[in-house]
Amino acid sequence: MTAHDLLAPNGLANPSWSDRRSVLISIAIFAASVGAMALVRLAIFPNTFIALSYGLPLLFCLWHQDTRLLWAMVVAFTGMSLLKALVIMDSGIASAFERNLHWIMQAVNLLVIGATVHIVIALTRGLRRRQLTIEQQNTTLVARGEEIAQQNEELTAQAEELAQQNEELQQQSEEMQHQTEELHQQAEELQRQTDDLQLATAESERREALLQSLILSLQDAETDGTLPTDICEPLMSLFAGKASAAMVAERDGQRYRVLSHVNLEEFVSDAPLTAQSFGAIVMREGRTAFIEDLATRPDITVPRSGSRSFRSVLATPLRLDGRVMGVVTVLSEVPQSWTREEFKIIEWVSAQCTLVMQTRRLREELQRANRTLGGEVQDRTQQLEEFVAELEHFSYTITHDLRAPLRAMQGFAALLREQHGAKLDTEGASFLDRIETAAARMDRLITDALSYSRIVRSELPLAPVDLRALLEGMVASYPSLQAPAARIDIADDLPAVLGNEAGLTQLFSNLLGNAVKFVPPGRIPHVRIFGERQNGTVRVCVADNGIGIDPAMHDRVFVMFQRLSKDYEGTGIGLALVKKIAERMGGSVTLQSEPGDGCRFWVQMRAANGSVQ
Amino acid sequence: MMRTPPTVLYVEDEADDVYFMRAAFEREGISVRFHSAPDGAQAIAYLAGDAPYDDRTRHPLPTMMLLDLNLPVHSGFEVLEWLRGRKEFRSLPVVVFSSSGREEDRERARDLGATDYVLKPSSGMQFSGVVRELRDRWLRPPTPPGGQPETLHTVSPT
Repeated sequence: MTAHDLLAPNGLANPSWSDRRSVLISIAIFAASVGAMALVRLAIFPNTFIALSYGLPLLFCLWHQDTRLLWAMVVAFTGMSLLKALVIMDSGIASAFERNLHWIMQAVNLLVIGATVHIVIALTRGLRRRQLTIEQQNTTLVARGEEIAQQNEELTAQAEELAQQNEELQQQSEEMQHQTEELHQQAEELQRQTDDLQLATAESERREALLQSLILSLQDAETDGTLPTDICEPLMSLFAGKASAAMVAERDGQRYRVLSHVNLEEFVSDAPLTAQSFGAIVMREGRTAFIEDLATRPDITVPRSGSRSFRSVLATPLRLDGRVMGVVTVLSEVPQSWTREEFKIIEWVSAQCTLVMQTRRLREELQRANRTLGGEVQDRTQQLEEFVAELEHFSYTITHDLRAPLRAMQGFAALLREQHGAKLDTEGASFLDRIETAAARMDRLITDALSYSRIVRSELPLAPVDLRALLEGMVASYPSLQAPAARIDIADDLPAVLGNEAGLTQLFSNLLGNAVKFVPPGRIPHVRIFGERQNGTVRVCVADNGIGIDPAMHDRVFVMFQRLSKDYEGTGIGLALVKKIAERMGGSVTLQSEPGDGCRFWVQMRAANGSVQ
Repeated sequence: MMRTPPTVLYVEDEADDVYFMRAAFEREGISVRFHSAPDGAQAIAYLAGDAPYDDRTRHPLPTMMLLDLNLPVHSGFEVLEWLRGRKEFRSLPVVVFSSSGREEDRERARDLGATDYVLKPSSGMQFSGVVRELRDRWLRPPTPPGGQPETLHTVSPT
């Protein structure tokens, strides 16, 4: 057997059924050995116990390692032995016991040989497997060896590269050293700049303190138009140690009036402003000035404060509306050469003071104006309110008082007709008619005027109203709105509105009253009421088949006491009332009409949310 | 036994209204002793029995009082206020009879203890309807127990 055969997969297990060649070999061996044994043992020597072992053919299986073949042959030979012993062999040759013993021994012999061969096959296979594994491991190891060799080469290459990089790093490190030194220098520079900045910040903080003091004084409404008295404190700190005293003063005729000071406690607040005083000179010159050492200028005086005597002074004029009106002074107990920077500071302080004083003065003027104006407005409002209340009361009273004589007029007219009617001639009766008609008209006028004044004055609380139910109730209670006098159609889908029930009743009774009144003689009034909801509003239309109104007159119909036709009864208040009610409920009323084409009054109201209870 | 007719005191400054009220009682055949006072002060004097009303045979205490609101000297409201402090008039029905339909007037009258509030009709001849109502509600002796309405009742003008 070659190594190739040993490595072949069929050497490790029984040949697969699909390996046709191997299966054919198995069948051939089986057929040949069984055939040969049958020929020799059953045909040629049927009555002889042949010593030749059945086991020999089984040894083929050591060459063609197929356990299925092995056991097939064992079974076949055992079967043949049994057949020969019990069927073929002449019973006269051997006893039954001998025959039975013979076949049993042969069967045992076959089993032992079969088992031995089986074990040998199994062991061979195990060996082959191990050999195979070792060979595979060997191959793997060889491959790893090659790989490691390759990696080794690579590592060598990398090591070289690293060495190179190391050199570069060395160079870079040197460079960095250099840069670090530069950075150190820059840091020192920065430190210097920071120090400068801190100085600047400190100054800006001091300036801010001054501004803060000024702004705070602005918020204090009580003080008058001058500067806050503590303004010199931040001013002093702006001069950081160089100033021993400071003062802000304004000119009051020929005297100083000190607005604020520091370290000048004993300085008289209204010192005379002599021509030799430094403040007077600065104000006269209108520019910033200083004296380095006052000892060199005994002719010039500066404010004094008891034990303190000052050697140096810096001052700038204080301006208001472009006019010099005071002076800002900084004093020192030692001679000082004031810098350009300090010039700028004192001028800046002066400018800020000017700004604040102007602001305060403006604010005072504004407050004064406001007070005057507020008082006036209040007075006028109160007068107006009183006037309106008086007017309302007057209109109510006069309308109300008109009722008493009217009552008498109507009463006596009726009494006259009742008790003396028979004595009147036709003309007298017609005069009485006219009196009664006029009185009735006046009654309506008063009623309408009172309704109008009530609507104007009273509150109209709004609530959801089922307009359809309200209108149906109205129609049911007025015979003039029912058949056969009139026909009123109310749409089923009339939306609910947010309104005042009493107001709505008055509004629609007026509109319906007009709709059935203004029809040509002989025509039966037909009124349609329908509406639609648009977002938060409801538009309801009252459309009639009456005489209509000329568009030129549309604006006038809603005006109080405007009557368009003398042919129809009316007070001229109804539509004014309708308009007023709609407006009081947050709505409006408009008219669409042409003469002879009827009127469509559109009432817009607020829509009710949800359903009406 | 002859029943004494009830006494009605009508406080009213309009002589025409007094005339129509008296005529209305006569026209409706309602037998009453009808007295009137032309202003609030006189009404109070009548009720208090001050001169010239100190003779109770000539000026008997009323069974019912009709009270206008808009009166000279003392208004109807002042009369109501005066009445409120007096126990002896607690059972006297006081019917306010005014042409004011203002809700605030009604409320004030009710708060001051008015028994009823009747709106004056626009014609003197319509007082007849008012007196019929008054008779049915206030002048039918004896008043059945619990028959007095608790709430204000308004007679609408026709």
